[in-house]
Amino acid sequence: MRRYEVMVILDPDLEERTVAPSLDTYLNVVRQDGGTVESVDVWGRRRLAYEIRKKTEGIYAVIELNAEPATVKELDRQLGLNEAIMRTKVLRPELHGA
Amino acid sequence: MAKPIVRKPKKKSNPLKAAKITYVDYKDTGLLRKFISDRNKIRARRVTGVSVQEQRQIATAIKNAREMALLPYTSTTR
Repeated sequence: MRRYEVMVILDPDLEERTVAPSLDTYLNVVRQDGGTVESVDVWGRRRLAYEIRKKTEGIYAVIELNAEPATVKELDRQLGLNEAIMRTKVLRPELHGA
Repeated sequence: MAKPIVRKPKKKSNPLKAAKITYVDYKDTGLLRKFISDRNKIRARRVTGVSVQEQRQIATAIKNAREMALLPYTSTTR
């Protein structure tokens, strides 16, 4: 089991309150494979430093979880398939000095 | 005879120590902005005054933040 931090940028045209529930459905993959979801933090709408898909804004969300490497890989793959998700980043904080 | 110029390097205050930061988080854009120039380039270590290890952590954090559009890439236009 490893600790991961997943950051997601979602399409700004989405309703902000639907973000948390829809992300949660993806996180079922983690739970089914014996991982745990520590926290889901939806930052809300935020200006992008540069345009992504011609959009100047994005809805940011940060998820902390414990899971096996393969599980996170699968999660990232599924997130990437969603059209409403503009960008994802998976990070292991302990590799960066935490 | 030319006098050899002995310049005493001024000890810079370490901005990370000042802020009591042990983990450079790529999400902390306020902190990372202190380490980029107005052209959005990463500042050199001789300017920032942090240790080698810290500079490396800062650089990776800035690059991660750029990928997630939290910080801009360098602007080449004049």
